[in-house]
Amino acid sequence: MKKTLTVLCALLLTTVALFANGTAEQKSSLQVVKPIEITFWHSLGDAARSGWIQQRVDDFNASQKKYHVTQEAKGSYRDTLQAAVLADKQGNAPSLVHVFEVGSQLAFDTNIFMPVGNIGSFDTSDYIKPVLNYYTINGTVNSIPFNSSSPVLYINVDKLVAAGYSADYVPETFEDMIKVVETAREKKVADANISFALHGWYFEQWMAEQGAVLLNNDNGRAGRATEVNLTSAAAVAIGNFLSTLGKKNLYSYTGRFEDWDGSDAIFTGNKAIFHITSTADLGNISRAVEKSFTLGVGKLPIPTGAKRNGTVIGGGSIWVTKNHTEQELKGARDFALFLTNTDNMVSWHKLTGYYPVRNSSVDKLTEEGWFLSDAKQLVAFNQLLTTIPNSATAGALGGTLLDNRTIMEQAMQKILQGGDVQMVLSEAKVIADAKLKEYNANF
Amino acid sequence: MKKNESLWVHAVLIFACIIICFPIVFALIKATQESGDVTSASLVPGGAFWKNLQIVWYDYHLGCYLRNSFFISVWVALGKIVLSLFASLALVFYRFKGKNLVFVFIIVTLMLPTEMLILGLFDLVSTQPAAKLVLLLQWMFDPVEFFFAPTKYGFGWGDSLVGVVMPFMASATGVFLFRQHFLSIPHSLADSARIDGANSLQFLRYILIPMSLNTIGALALIQFIYVWDQYIWPRIIIRRTANQVVQVGLNMIVSTGESVQWSQVMTAVVVAMIPPLLVFALLYRSFMNGYALSSEK
Amino acid sequence: MPRFHLLEFIMKETNAVFKSRGISFLYLSPTILILLTFIFYPAWKAIILSLYRSNLFLGTRKFIGAENIQNLFWGPLAPGFRQVMVQTIIFSTLVVGIGISVSLFLSVQANKDIKGARIYRMLLIWPFALSPAIAATIALFMFNPEVGLVNAVLHMNIRWLDSPVLAFLLTVCIAVWKNLGYNIVFYLAALQSIPRSPLEAADIDGASPVKKFWLVTFPLLGPTTFFLLFTNITYSFFDTFGIIDMLTRGGPVGPGPFFDKEGLTTTLMYKVYLDGFGGSSNMGFAAAEGLVLMAFVVLVTFLQFRFLGKRIHYEG
Repeated sequence: MKKTLTVLCALLLTTVALFANGTAEQKSSLQVVKPIEITFWHSLGDAARSGWIQQRVDDFNASQKKYHVTQEAKGSYRDTLQAAVLADKQGNAPSLVHVFEVGSQLAFDTNIFMPVGNIGSFDTSDYIKPVLNYYTINGTVNSIPFNSSSPVLYINVDKLVAAGYSADYVPETFEDMIKVVETAREKKVADANISFALHGWYFEQWMAEQGAVLLNNDNGRAGRATEVNLTSAAAVAIGNFLSTLGKKNLYSYTGRFEDWDGSDAIFTGNKAIFHITSTADLGNISRAVEKSFTLGVGKLPIPTGAKRNGTVIGGGSIWVTKNHTEQELKGARDFALFLTNTDNMVSWHKLTGYYPVRNSSVDKLTEEGWFLSDAKQLVAFNQLLTTIPNSATAGALGGTLLDNRTIMEQAMQKILQGGDVQMVLSEAKVIADAKLKEYNANF
Repeated sequence: MKKNESLWVHAVLIFACIIICFPIVFALIKATQESGDVTSASLVPGGAFWKNLQIVWYDYHLGCYLRNSFFISVWVALGKIVLSLFASLALVFYRFKGKNLVFVFIIVTLMLPTEMLILGLFDLVSTQPAAKLVLLLQWMFDPVEFFFAPTKYGFGWGDSLVGVVMPFMASATGVFLFRQHFLSIPHSLADSARIDGANSLQFLRYILIPMSLNTIGALALIQFIYVWDQYIWPRIIIRRTANQVVQVGLNMIVSTGESVQWSQVMTAVVVAMIPPLLVFALLYRSFMNGYALSSEK
Repeated sequence: MPRFHLLEFIMKETNAVFKSRGISFLYLSPTILILLTFIFYPAWKAIILSLYRSNLFLGTRKFIGAENIQNLFWGPLAPGFRQVMVQTIIFSTLVVGIGISVSLFLSVQANKDIKGARIYRMLLIWPFALSPAIAATIALFMFNPEVGLVNAVLHMNIRWLDSPVLAFLLTVCIAVWKNLGYNIVFYLAALQSIPRSPLEAADIDGASPVKKFWLVTFPLLGPTTFFLLFTNITYSFFDTFGIIDMLTRGGPVGPGPFFDKEGLTTTLMYKVYLDGFGGSSNMGFAAAEGLVLMAFVVLVTFLQFRFLGKRIHYEG
């Protein structure tokens, strides 16, 4: 017994010792002149996108000897920003951090980033205006837009046709969508549902489409926001839509909040007529449903009777952390610009469906005839380019937008489950305002 | 026992065993299926286990996670055993004032599990250490700064496995167990050891440890599984995938950017079950004896 | 003879043979140091943190005294906190109550003199090696409304994870299931070391099996039950975090006027995590919640020792 234990302990210790080295920090390879290390932390962990990023990293490293870039996927957007803040506290922040769009105010407030516009001078005129606007705070460009997208409507054309509509019909309003689904059900079309992830992002988008600001003080852009407009007419319109969906049982989701994949799976599994998700998933979804049904794409449906203002840019941007040497800052900026240069944005768009955030990329794609061969992509484009620039569509800027999304999701769920719209939204507003107040009290 | 009663007992037990074991059998079977079958109700084992395993091991870093979990579980189990042995040795075989107070002090920590301390622990573990020892001492001896101001100097172990291991190194459970056990050792034995001129270390090595193998085994089992199962603390302190442990890793595997591949998730689950089960099988007997749970001695 | 002499443990002192104070201090110091550094100091710091407004992202820290505690019990965020406290109590009661009763019942059955008892015991015990995260992952898949086995077999589309009450009950069941093995191990062992004489005496007196159980066996299991109560309560408060995080993320928002502020499966521990490390991070507020949690645990432990400690029967 004693011997067995001793042997076991020895074995375990040896195994551990053998592996222990693997968990230590990576030792950089020795070189005569060490290139400046640039690290890029992002949240795109899936094989396709992180693979693309790695290829660009390799390209950049091969093209010059001054900087050496490494990239790492850190998990969700929240995890990435948190990790960066902590790393900065510990004195070894990554050079570049990929921050989600609603984290902009929070990132700005952490004070660990250097606005990109302040690192030397470079030309930003080529970036698509509405996109760059989102990331411009107080007149300075804070970060470089990287993956930008908008929500679009995905349509199961087979089911649409089975419901008696023409194959290129696209419902533009909530009412139209509901009508299609109800007609489909009357015609006994299987699984006639509307699916979209229960995500606060959609709430934000529908507010912007109606030209309504989510936060006061010009959506937080004229000054720190102090109120969340969850009881405005625009918000109620959204609430009413959800209420109808819930009462008539037209909505299908996995039950979990923010379950992008789950809701995508419902649509790609042929269990819904309409699906709303980011245009960035166009590539994945097209491939997934190739063999099952015909796919159609349309603009985001909006409340009936509202004037279409356009969508808010979603996705993320690249921020440069400030606690670095001048050289590192320049190198970080250069890599960010490289990653989002004309050709790279073209290939990024082709791979993922995210907007190529540069005008020159759009031109190049038009030249290639890309849009003729795949008209689906155009939908998202037109939606973006016809966006009316105002505070609503510029996007909200607030420190608690993350919390806010959860609050909105909870409210959305309550409404779907039969709650009274006005009551649910006012309760949500009370909590959202309280959280915002707590946040602002930090300053 | 009457026949009816016996039948009924069997029925109840069989039912219970099925309910208790089914989810694991389910996971085992699903781990072997292809992605098509996995989402159906089919419970026919497939042949895709190795393929699933390869994908989840390399692409989703399961190998990495397992290695890290192993690291922390073994080190904490070892650390706890050693520290508790010595602490109990002092508490039982030495005479000094305030012994009971020290013991109560240690036992009180049973009410303060790591989970409850995450907020304070986080600051302490991840803040950068002082550049000079002098600074550290200055800070420690300034009561206002030390007790009331935000933690100025920490250990700087954020995002490292050391940061996961250290807070678990001392064990009230271990001290409790070993103390129980040591108290049952005949006084005459301890006395004769001392009369023979043995010092405490020799006493420990030649007499106590051989007599405590069951308790050691029991503690090793409990602590290995306890640390293997840790979720909150690694989730908070570890950032990089390369350093993450398997329990939190499961969360990462379930929520990757693409659709959940359930067959691979189940494979990861099955593999993550194996080490604790192995340790359990090996140390089960010790555990039963060490906790004085069986009548063998 | 079971060795759980709970209240006597402090008193015994008969084995002290060595005298060197220096050495005893040396042996005790690593343990004491680690406990002080990693348990007492952070606990203290967390208490202090509750008096501040602190944000993880911003690195800010402002003294606000009792405002966090105030906000917990009064103000717009209070109803959410109250809901979480009530939920936690209900959750714990269910997990501990069901867990201990079912384990006791199964242990008694498995302890009986029937063929294959050994195998049954093994099968009942081994899930003890599972972790909460693993239990939750399997459940996540099995009960997935779209692709899970349960709905496929039942041919129904039961929304296990987003109907609040169902999600809550499911979480309770998974928590109970995961801990059955652990409870059964201890109960089985305790049952097996119950001496024959009281049972035989009861038989002679013509007691029915049920009476025998409640009047003889159960009291003799006192120390074990006491121990398991304590560990199960700790389990339900803390270890279920893994289950909640994987299965429901705090869960769907509950029904009615009381339970609709927060997710129904958000326990106090989970709320501390959400407020401190999730969203936009309000660590002082989370620390205040943690304070309440600490007070809770201390209170429960104290009550347990006070009221039940006296009733434990020891065998002669």
